[in-house]
Amino acid sequence: MNLDWLDAFLISGLFHVVVVVGLGLLLHLQLGLARIANFGVVGFWGVGMYTFGVLFVKVDWPFGDVWAFLISLVAATIVAGLAGLLVGWLIADLDEDGVLVGTLGFATAVFILATTEQDLTGGALGLGGLKFPYNVGSVKANEFLWLIIVTLVVFAIFLYAWRVHRSPYGRLLIAVGANEPLARSLGKPAFRTKLWLFGVGSAGMGLLGALFGVMERFLATSNLGIDVTLAAMVALIFGGTARVWGAVLGGVLTIGFFDIVVQSYLPLPREWYSQAIPVLRELIFGLAIMIVLLFRPLGILGDMRRDKLMRSVHSD
Amino acid sequence: MDLDLLSDSLVIGLTEHAPLVLAAIGFALLYRLTGLINVAYSETVTLGAYFGMWTNTTFGLNFYAVLIPAGIMAGLVSVATYFAVFRPAKRLNVGVLEMIIISFGLSIFLRHGLQFIFGYPVRFFDVPPPDTIRVLGVGVGSFRLVALASVAVLSLVIFWVIQRSSLGLQIRALASDEDLAQASGIRPLFVTVLIWFIAGVAGGLAGAFYGVGSSVAPLLGWRQFLFILLVVLVGGAKGLGGVIVTGIITGVALAAMSLQFGQVLYAQLALILGFMVLLKVRSRRIAETGKV
Amino acid sequence: MTDTAKNPDVAGDPEIAVSDTSPTTVTRPQIEVKGAVKSFDGRVVVDVDKLVMGDVPIEGLIGPNGAGKTTLMRMVMHSTSLDSGTVSLLPEGPGSKSITLSNLPTHRMAHHGVVKSNQVIMDFDKLTILDSLLLAVATARYERPHRIFDERRVYDGAIEEIHRYLELFGIEDPYRFAGSAGEKKLLDIIRCLLLQPRFLLLDEPTAGLPDDLTEKVMEVVRELADAGTAVVIVEHDLNVIWSLSDEVHFMAEGKVLMKGSPDDIRQHKTVIENYLGEGHV
Repeated sequence: MNLDWLDAFLISGLFHVVVVVGLGLLLHLQLGLARIANFGVVGFWGVGMYTFGVLFVKVDWPFGDVWAFLISLVAATIVAGLAGLLVGWLIADLDEDGVLVGTLGFATAVFILATTEQDLTGGALGLGGLKFPYNVGSVKANEFLWLIIVTLVVFAIFLYAWRVHRSPYGRLLIAVGANEPLARSLGKPAFRTKLWLFGVGSAGMGLLGALFGVMERFLATSNLGIDVTLAAMVALIFGGTARVWGAVLGGVLTIGFFDIVVQSYLPLPREWYSQAIPVLRELIFGLAIMIVLLFRPLGILGDMRRDKLMRSVHSD
Repeated sequence: MDLDLLSDSLVIGLTEHAPLVLAAIGFALLYRLTGLINVAYSETVTLGAYFGMWTNTTFGLNFYAVLIPAGIMAGLVSVATYFAVFRPAKRLNVGVLEMIIISFGLSIFLRHGLQFIFGYPVRFFDVPPPDTIRVLGVGVGSFRLVALASVAVLSLVIFWVIQRSSLGLQIRALASDEDLAQASGIRPLFVTVLIWFIAGVAGGLAGAFYGVGSSVAPLLGWRQFLFILLVVLVGGAKGLGGVIVTGIITGVALAAMSLQFGQVLYAQLALILGFMVLLKVRSRRIAETGKV
Repeated sequence: MTDTAKNPDVAGDPEIAVSDTSPTTVTRPQIEVKGAVKSFDGRVVVDVDKLVMGDVPIEGLIGPNGAGKTTLMRMVMHSTSLDSGTVSLLPEGPGSKSITLSNLPTHRMAHHGVVKSNQVIMDFDKLTILDSLLLAVATARYERPHRIFDERRVYDGAIEEIHRYLELFGIEDPYRFAGSAGEKKLLDIIRCLLLQPRFLLLDEPTAGLPDDLTEKVMEVVRELADAGTAVVIVEHDLNVIWSLSDEVHFMAEGKVLMKGSPDDIRQHKTVIENYLGEGHV
């Protein structure tokens, strides 16, 4: 297959968009529906990425690479999910301040552990040896195939979120987010609900982190910074926190704009790309968050149209 | 416990982490007044370091001389953020959750905006190496001792102002009920701006102290933010005094653990875990939702 | 008796010992409040030595503002903690045990059939009327992260009952959001009804409702009570109290001062002086 038309930067840019959309969709369930501001997104992502990487590279698997790969991937997802349950347990009965501290503290702890446990993780130097579970020819072809695979995964996440909106579970999340005491008086176990929401969401974030690590073929603590959480948040908030399409639209318009359009298609001076553009990107993301939340808190797509939804789902 | 470890931890903890106490006080002032967590406070700390460094390298002033402009400029930035972001947010009735995220956005904005002003590379203060003074058998840089002294003085001053003076009374009144305070003749805008300024000065000075000891980089304040937050949330229940005490204990604990584990990061990790446990234990009492 | 068909998660629940009463007589659940004290900011708001509710079908609870009626109700629901004392669901029939409600978290109340409507307007602003009602009827097993295809099942299982109430109260379009305060109040009550309460606490249910709806609410409450649900109504609209209640408690300054038939209470000197004489507020 002739992939000359496909720029390596384009693959990378598209991959970033896809992954951030995935994170944004999971964050949508937590922040958009249940109104929990998860500032530790990168922590779960990191747990998944590093668990996968360390298991895949450091364990002497008695079987072939593909099995080692799959097992490491599943393990990474599960471990991230467990981390989610732990953090969920910690924050489910805390107020907004507590949630900030709990999630941020968790992300910091993950970063610290990845840095200190050098024997396992390579620390600040990083760990190589991750690779695709296949080889279809060139590096570019492998990456392109991986992009497609991960896009399918994120599509599945999208379908899940889409279905959540149309199910009793989604209704429960919205109720807990809108008026937790009232939900409790109706017999809804708010604590348990938030706990499992975190567990499931974190598993997804961990999976995405692992898939990202594979694309990078490298574990680096530079991928464990607050910028990952920021990207997911700005994508979701800009597009529309309360809408399932919010993270999709927001991801395309924010990450897509910077990592594809600006990166590859705007004729800007070469030297800007090493520092000025990345810094500008973060600056604008920060600005976008402020402006959206001040003037149009529900983002471009606005509020969820529950009345339309219920009508379309239920009126025969 | 080993007496040497104890005395070493005390000295190092107090001198190295004195800025943490100062930053925590500033943050606590804001938290007390607004009830909200201002994530961008970490940038006040960072900017204090940058302003100090800039004044020092541009005008050739020594470290002590730049403290005042650094503090004042940081205070002004703090006030500017109040007018540009937080006051409009209040007018627009932004919720608590959104407010935290907005302040996060502001933090990111400032952290990267400053790089377009001060440049991308890591910067340094241009100061001669400080004299080393031996305290309880530990060599301590003079800058650090000045930091400790400043923190002690400032803490006492702020504590006295808040707890004892009429201005402090006004601040506390404003914090608990703005309408009532206004009806009592307190000018909310003046008092509010003053608090934002003082908090900014405290943060900025903390930043300058951090910066002179190592380097001045965009992440300087952010690196401390989690600990500032933990100290204030856990210690703040007992007022400003609680914050100061918790800050001191945190500093000493960090030093002790760093010495024990031989690795600062482990100390930080242990502290994070410890604080989380405390937070969880204290929050058991949120069963009182009451409204239903 | 717990109906395991409606509460499938109940079977085998360690909190409830299954009773072996003969299914002929309607046993009304009773709640006992013992030594319950609650203070806010140093002021004692509730101080109830002993109170048993549910021995008659419908009980009214009246008293001046600040008497502690709502706080008492919240203590029963354990949404407000008790400084001391207990609230228990008394055993029903031989072989069953009493359940200390004040040891349970609020979300377990509905599980035991204890449901309360709200005096203040409480609503889910993001959910439509139909959403709200489906939320009330959905059981825990369908509200799990992996159950994303069960909307149909929950809907089909409950829609008849939901339609009954919608028709009864004249709510024509359930696909929109609750509009007025009165509508939200009504919605709150319907949610409570859908939870199939065995013990229903109504906190000023008719405040904000037009007369015709007030009538309908009273009818429904009467029906429920006749079928075995214990009802306690806190009300300032005394017409509702006199016409519905089988028994009335009068509460003032945190204490239940007296209890009796509506007529007795109505004519009692202290009550008239402290409460009725001043008017309805």
